[in-house]
Amino acid sequence: MSSSDQIRDPIRELIEAYALGSLDPEERAAVDAHLATGCAECTKALAESHWLVSQLAYLTPESAPSDMLRARLMQTVRAEAAAPKSQTSASSTPKSTVPLWIWSAAAAALLFALYNAHEMRSLQEKIHQMNVTLSQQFQLQQASAQQLVIARREAAILIDPKSLKIAMPAAKPGAKNDLPVLQATWSPNLGLVVSGHNLPVPSVTRTLQLWLIPKTPGGKPVPSLTLRPDANGSFELLVASPPDLPNATKALAITEEPQGGSSQPTTTPIWVGAVAGK
Amino acid sequence: MFLAVFTPADSSEVSRDAALVRRLLQRDVSAFEELYDRHSRLVYALVLRILQQATTAEEIVQDVFLQLWRNASQYDRSRGPFVPWLLTLARNRALDQLRLKSERQRRREEQAEELPPVIAIPDFEGALDEKRRAVRVREVMSSLNPQQKRAIELAYFDGLTHTEIANALNEPLGTVKSWIRNGLLRLKEGLQTAP
Repeated sequence: MSSSDQIRDPIRELIEAYALGSLDPEERAAVDAHLATGCAECTKALAESHWLVSQLAYLTPESAPSDMLRARLMQTVRAEAAAPKSQTSASSTPKSTVPLWIWSAAAAALLFALYNAHEMRSLQEKIHQMNVTLSQQFQLQQASAQQLVIARREAAILIDPKSLKIAMPAAKPGAKNDLPVLQATWSPNLGLVVSGHNLPVPSVTRTLQLWLIPKTPGGKPVPSLTLRPDANGSFELLVASPPDLPNATKALAITEEPQGGSSQPTTTPIWVGAVAGK
Repeated sequence: MFLAVFTPADSSEVSRDAALVRRLLQRDVSAFEELYDRHSRLVYALVLRILQQATTAEEIVQDVFLQLWRNASQYDRSRGPFVPWLLTLARNRALDQLRLKSERQRRREEQAEELPPVIAIPDFEGALDEKRRAVRVREVMSSLNPQQKRAIELAYFDGLTHTEIANALNEPLGTVKSWIRNGLLRLKEGLQTAP
């Protein structure tokens, strides 16, 4: 194998992607450099690849431009076709019935109309963009307001003298050293806040769920909200209206459940915290 | 650089386009009208798929056809068949619009590469007319695994590079490269062996 063959083969493997335009800059530069040597085989392969890539246009769903576009284009084309013709006829037939100034005025009027149409479209596009931006800002504002309400409620729960502080250590014996202790604060009147840091993040098809274990002997765990730690493993969950009261609850527990949560636990608790009344 | 362009069996369509483009040089409005009616739907569908915005898509289609009308001499039959040339021109314009002021566009501007490159129809293409070829392209692409098809679509319709596609699909770069090359080779083979 000659040295040019050795260069060509890896380059040849890049030709289709080069035609597609998907090569990263370094590889693209390598292909450019090789093509600059005049390699006939790669040049032919590239031209055929350009054809192949163009066939991907047939993947598009059928769609037709508006009749307005056709009319606009034909108007422009006819006006442009007429302009040089009128000049030619003016020079060859001096007694032309249509003076040049009329053609010029018509062309100017047409250009003005086209310009106006273009400006109108641009303006409509700008208005649409502004509406989109306004809508996004409104949604952001609403989200911020909602977050503020939640933060105020959480703060009220945390400072409420009637609140119970509940530590939730890992329930599984082997995991006690690996998993962090979660903190819960439960105000009989304001609700429940559970938080934690450095938690392992469940897979995308799983979620964590809070349960209230009732004091009633044989009572089934009462499902509460699901939660998902952020990328750093932190979460803060506000349960504004817990399904039961602290004095009727023996413990809080957190299990891992399928996405969307469960009506009864499907796994054993990962964290459990005893609710001790004041 | 000259490439002999293969004349396919479906040459009447190609010849018709070439004849119409020649008439554009004489500023023949009816030739322009016929070219527009023959190809504007496909060009518009492609540009709309890339830009996802009808108003902007129509502006690009208008620019492309006005460029064709005003600079018909830019299309040289030695550069390849007309429709792939027109599609490549439209795709480049749409991607430039999509990635306005992006590095890709700056690179294009630096290179001043306004016109599509040389395009050659491979020998096998002769057996298929445009409609059957369109059906075949869809069949072959549907037979790819969904992620592989998505990778090729991201490159063609969104103008993404291998690295950008790997990030978008959360797949290894090498996998994306293989998907794209093998997918295109499969498309080539599919068009070659079309019934």
